Amino acid sequence: MLWACLALFVLFPLAALVARAFFEGGRFAPGALASVLRDPNHLRAFGNSVLLGVLVAVASTVLGFLFAFTAVRGGLPRAWTGVLEATALLPLISPPFTTAIAIIFSFGPRGLVTWHLLGLKGVSVYGLASTFAAETLTYFPIAYLTLKPVLAALDPNVEDMAFSLGSSRARVFRTVTLPLTVPGLGNAFLLVFAASLADFATPLILGGNDFPVLPTQAYLQITGLFDFKGGAVLSFVLLVPAFAVLLLQRAWVGRRYYVTVSGKAGAQTAAKSVAAWARWPLLAGCLVVTVVIAWFYALLAYASLVVALGANHAWTAVHYRVIFSEGVKAIRDTLVIAGLGMPLGGLYGILLGYLVARKVFLGRRAMELVSMVNYALPGTIVGIAYLIAFNDPPLVLTGTALIIVACYVFRYSPTGIRTTVALLQQIDPGLEEASASLGAGSATTFRRVTLPLIVPAFFAGLGVVFIRSMTAISATIFLISINWTLITVRILENMTELSLGPAAAFSMLVVAIVVVVMAALSRLLRQFRTPGRVMVASLLGG
Amino acid sequence: MGTGDIEERHGRPGALRARGGVGGHVGAPHPVGIRLERLSKRFHHRVQGEVYAARDVSLAVAPGEFVTLLGPSGCGKTTTLRMIAGFETPDAGRVFIGDEDVTALLANRRHLGFVFQNYALFPHLTVFENVAYGLRVQGRTAAEITRMVGDVLTLVGLQGYDRQFPQQLSGGEQQRVALARAIVIRPRVLLFDEPLSNLDAQLRVRMRAEIRALQQALSITAVYVTHDQEEAMAISDRIAVMSRGSIVQEGSAETLYARPASEFVARFIGRVNLVSARVVAVGVDTVEVEVAGQRVRAVAAAQPAVGDKVRVVVRPETVELAPAGSLGPAGTVVARTFLGEKVEYQVRVGDETLQVTRPGGAADARFAPGGAVTVRLPADGVGLLRDDA
Repeated sequence: MLWACLALFVLFPLAALVARAFFEGGRFAPGALASVLRDPNHLRAFGNSVLLGVLVAVASTVLGFLFAFTAVRGGLPRAWTGVLEATALLPLISPPFTTAIAIIFSFGPRGLVTWHLLGLKGVSVYGLASTFAAETLTYFPIAYLTLKPVLAALDPNVEDMAFSLGSSRARVFRTVTLPLTVPGLGNAFLLVFAASLADFATPLILGGNDFPVLPTQAYLQITGLFDFKGGAVLSFVLLVPAFAVLLLQRAWVGRRYYVTVSGKAGAQTAAKSVAAWARWPLLAGCLVVTVVIAWFYALLAYASLVVALGANHAWTAVHYRVIFSEGVKAIRDTLVIAGLGMPLGGLYGILLGYLVARKVFLGRRAMELVSMVNYALPGTIVGIAYLIAFNDPPLVLTGTALIIVACYVFRYSPTGIRTTVALLQQIDPGLEEASASLGAGSATTFRRVTLPLIVPAFFAGLGVVFIRSMTAISATIFLISINWTLITVRILENMTELSLGPAAAFSMLVVAIVVVVMAALSRLLRQFRTPGRVMVASLLGG
Repeated sequence: MGTGDIEERHGRPGALRARGGVGGHVGAPHPVGIRLERLSKRFHHRVQGEVYAARDVSLAVAPGEFVTLLGPSGCGKTTTLRMIAGFETPDAGRVFIGDEDVTALLANRRHLGFVFQNYALFPHLTVFENVAYGLRVQGRTAAEITRMVGDVLTLVGLQGYDRQFPQQLSGGEQQRVALARAIVIRPRVLLFDEPLSNLDAQLRVRMRAEIRALQQALSITAVYVTHDQEEAMAISDRIAVMSRGSIVQEGSAETLYARPASEFVARFIGRVNLVSARVVAVGVDTVEVEVAGQRVRAVAAAQPAVGDKVRVVVRPETVELAPAGSLGPAGTVVARTFLGEKVEYQVRVGDETLQVTRPGGAADARFAPGGAVTVRLPADGVGLLRDDA
């Protein structure tokens, strides 16, 4: 049953994509690939994608490390750590355009900074620099979330040991802290690189004509020229670096450094790796980023409440009236789709996670791998693959809500799967044996023992599917129809129509809904007694 | 309510058979034995390839008997226990509980009580619900469950703990809950997998006495796994010593101590001197050997011939010390450690260094390090080891 779902919604679309890219009338025809590769525009897009990815990954990793190091080792009061945490969380739960819109508001031709403050004229905000800045601010939280547990797991006693051997702080950092973090840094780099490679929304808005990247090219190929084949080939080209990153990450991170939460974590010792005076520059560095992000969101909120930012700053509620009248369909559709995807995704996540972690059967590892494919691939590829696969018989799903729900479920459930697996790995198999020895069959054991213990994973999976359903665009932009549309797509339409007010209002709405649902979920989660606290894993995915 | 009702209601023939006890009393009036017939279990090891965790393990446990599987880690004792419980399926051999061949039966159909090393209490359930778990699975009524859980919690000294969660209890209390949970279903047999290894030394001593008392009170057959020889000796009727997947010797604590069949057993149970000796005479049950010039009688596991070189097992507390010049082998005191209730000496006799333990009250300043001394080995009761052991 699960295999059938996986085959239908993961393998089949991918196969359809490859078939479309390489086969012409049933025959193998690599000509299309060759012609794409000869097109200088496409080659440039490829180069741009990789260049952008590397830059964003480097900058995000540095920024993420700064945040993580300051939060974990800075010895700061809780309140400050909370500020850092909030800064890092906000971009993760926002629709993908928010930073881009805010950058246009600030630095665009009529931007608050460029035009009003500095009086510059004819500034072009579009291109590599702004795309890079927007993506870095959007994706550094991924690096932060990856690095923080790594740093937190570093036993300060190890650093103490180095100190006791006469090392200076700088030396301890260089010879102990940093080397031990290297796998984490590599992992963070690869994750951000993959995210940037797959990002579609930011370059679409900020890239402009001078800075094409692969996902936007593929999108334009399909929506502009209705050239499915070209789109398929382009996304296949994107597949190559994406897979390279996936393999690299698997090889590098290899055996995951599981940090066991055992009672014997060595003596409690205050981290001394940061001198008292160095604390404040570190914090200041982080706060600069915090201020920029806060400014962006404040600007967005402001823009949603004035007639036209940059031109007419009179207060108005008109944008909200617009989104709650014309936009109400998009809001309703999005909520319906998110509402459908949420329980399905949560259920699918714990089911598959349970099978993979606890049951021994043929093809177990293959199942785990396949379940991760849609998650690991750039959204553009998944979207195009779904479009190609479900546009024609035998299974026509284009235009239905089902295709969007399926896309979300199979693309964003891996968080739930991995949380389930992580939880199960912490749960002593003895519990299930104890249940069996007391006479319970495997169904009873699952229902009475295992299920209650992996409920947190269910809600984590639920939450991620919901957040992503509210904020994702890269895959689903290919799957919307007259019948079913999404808020994020409406934001994009508003952007292209230059009605920035409603776009800002929509964005605020999404952030508000996500925050409310997240708060509700985490409250619900606290109701359950859990043997070990498992963080909702990274909310990564474009 | 009789157990027959439950059997009918659930239609699980065999599952609850042989379960005794009707009403509120916890216990199985008619204990059943266990028989293991040539159990083997292989595992795949990353480096060594296929390795036997258990190899041709045969063991008979009499009804009501308390048998301990004793051995170092990796000797196969836990694997053997888990095969009895049904958590592992043997590659070869059969497991009988009473007269029933349960080899192919799933763990949840064997009706045994299992106490885990780390307790394996359900963290999301209260103490009451943990203990009630097996009863709920049996489909008992709420009134029955309340009564039976109450009874068993009283029995293990945990009345009033119903609403606590396992995490709120101390290690010893958690162990009692695990015990209560295992016995409340009136299992045919109780199995223990190193249940005390997570407790501190004092609590271990107290708990092992309680477990033994409980087993006696319930008159239930028990198999217990531990690597602690003192624990094994204190708790069991009989001990089966395991090494590398096989049972190397079984018997009462006294037998194993006095007549170990191999160097492994001799060294594993208690402190020991293994001294080279030469057989000087062969009797019916005993042989006479010469150890460091002294003739002693030994109990032989195999019949050696006169003139054979053998090794004898001499327990440190059986050696006596006398002033130098007395009759017997002469030696030199190498070290002397005063431990209150006893004094430990190391005495050099010829090429060998003997461990000697004397009562603390008899601490004698005459036997100071460096001083000469006369050693007296026990005239009989020395164990003789086979050459291949």
